[in-house]
Amino acid sequence: MIASLRADTLKARKRTANWILVGILLAWLILLSYVLDYFIFKHPPPGFRSEVPPSVLIRIVFPENVIPTVLSVLGTIGAAVMLIMGALSTASEYGWSTVQTILVQKPGRGAVLGGKIVNLALTSLIVTLVLFLVAAAASLILAGVDGRAARLPAASDVVRGFGAAWLVLGVYTALGMTLGVVFRSTAAAIGGGLTYVFVVETVIGSLLGNTGGIKEILKFLPGTAVHGVTGTFPFSPTAITRGSGGGPALISGTRGLITLGVYLLAFIAISLLVFSRRDVGA
Amino acid sequence: MTDNYVIETRGLSKRYARDVLAVDGLELRVRQGEVYGFLGPNGAGKTTTLRMLSGLLHPTSGSATVVGQPPGSPAGLAKLGAMVETPAFYPYLSGRDNLRVMARYTRAAASRIETVLQQVDLSDRARHKFKTYSTGMKQRLGVAAALLKDPELLILDEPTSGLDPQGTVEMRTLIRGIAREGRTVLLSSHLLNEVEQTCDRVGVIVKGHLVAEGTIDELRGRGGLILRASPVDRARTVLGQLGAASVQVKDGRFTLDVDPAQAAVINRRLVEAGVDVSELRESERSLEDVFLQLTEDGGRGKA
Repeated sequence: MIASLRADTLKARKRTANWILVGILLAWLILLSYVLDYFIFKHPPPGFRSEVPPSVLIRIVFPENVIPTVLSVLGTIGAAVMLIMGALSTASEYGWSTVQTILVQKPGRGAVLGGKIVNLALTSLIVTLVLFLVAAAASLILAGVDGRAARLPAASDVVRGFGAAWLVLGVYTALGMTLGVVFRSTAAAIGGGLTYVFVVETVIGSLLGNTGGIKEILKFLPGTAVHGVTGTFPFSPTAITRGSGGGPALISGTRGLITLGVYLLAFIAISLLVFSRRDVGA
Repeated sequence: MTDNYVIETRGLSKRYARDVLAVDGLELRVRQGEVYGFLGPNGAGKTTTLRMLSGLLHPTSGSATVVGQPPGSPAGLAKLGAMVETPAFYPYLSGRDNLRVMARYTRAAASRIETVLQQVDLSDRARHKFKTYSTGMKQRLGVAAALLKDPELLILDEPTSGLDPQGTVEMRTLIRGIAREGRTVLLSSHLLNEVEQTCDRVGVIVKGHLVAEGTIDELRGRGGLILRASPVDRARTVLGQLGAASVQVKDGRFTLDVDPAQAAVINRRLVEAGVDVSELRESERSLEDVFLQLTEDGGRGKA
């Protein structure tokens, strides 16, 4: 599997699309979650209305709120970027027919996909790390610009937040990877995945979320689990609720973590099963 | 490995759907060190067979061993280099980087990359992206990737497909060179000329069955005689008395399905009967004749 991991690392590193995706994610974080928020709360536009005054809301962009700010982008743009990256890693192999080239090399099918899985896990780890570092840098700069003292979150919270963020990104990466293996088409994997994440769960949640039966089903979906996990990292002060998923979480953080863990294992198992058994080129 | 067979299949079959039997009970044996031509019309089951031997497809029934291992097993793949159908590589990577990726999969030494690039004469273009390559260059990169592992067995599926005449000659020379290194080559093709000039032995597959197998000469089989004589009627009578089978006459030219060793006897009897013999020579069946006979019979004919 080490051989496959080295091969996949080289492919991923040389692929421009991966760098563009990470660039989009970082640009989104810096521009929308820091720069734009800072200017809006610093200079509220006429008619700006909020239960929490802008002078308090502006604390979103300061170091004390690095963890909830990073987590707030994971369920949206973070999910989309990592889903696309996961889908590209597998679906492109079918699109270019390179799957048959690599499967006639030395490693077995399990080792080939195993290398991909480890590479994607490391990629999501690095993306998580970069997100936190960039968020910390941006918040420190803005605090400095605003003349505020930099209050960093507790180390234990950073570790927990980092782990939660890695898990969330890992689940969406694994979802993309699985859709790529199942559909064997980049367009179908990305289109299907994004439609589910942004349309199906969102529409069901917003239109039917209060219906008894639907509410119970929602508790088992990955988006709800992400909301549950991110909900355990509130903004400071807690009066600020913006960006953490909208509305109270349907499930606890612990249940969210378990649900995401189960999804992660299920996606990996499905991918391995399909990739190992299905004919190539039939 | 059984005896010295590098590839051995026993009743190998592949059914795609309920009514599509692509390969039907194939019994194929490829000897060590030979260039084996796998010949058949389009849709005969060649690529499906190669995919099963490479481990890309799972057989519906039957079994196979490839360099002594089940198809697709890491131990077998370590000794196998394969290019099945169109060479497929990463378009955003250069030829050299594509080989680096494959070398990492196979744990081949980095030095092998330059060796195989030189072997397929692609060193000059190795830094360019794969998506800019011509068909011939893609085919050569496919062969280079197959050679990276320094394999005992090379499986090449239609390696001259899409090549211009010069490219075809270069590929043919490359394959013969690979064979001279002592490697076994299984070459699939529907181009008779290619097989005739490249292969030691040939197997003909039609509708999933192996309908003939042997050297080119064995497949051509025993030739007959070509005779030009006059008067035609008297010549036909004499030949009939001699018991020459399948006498065909066209424009005063007889095609006789007889042992060519009988030529002297036939000549003497014709001359003794007052027939003028202006031409008498051994006829040779081309591989094309054999192939067409086999395929026209839909796999039921015998060469």
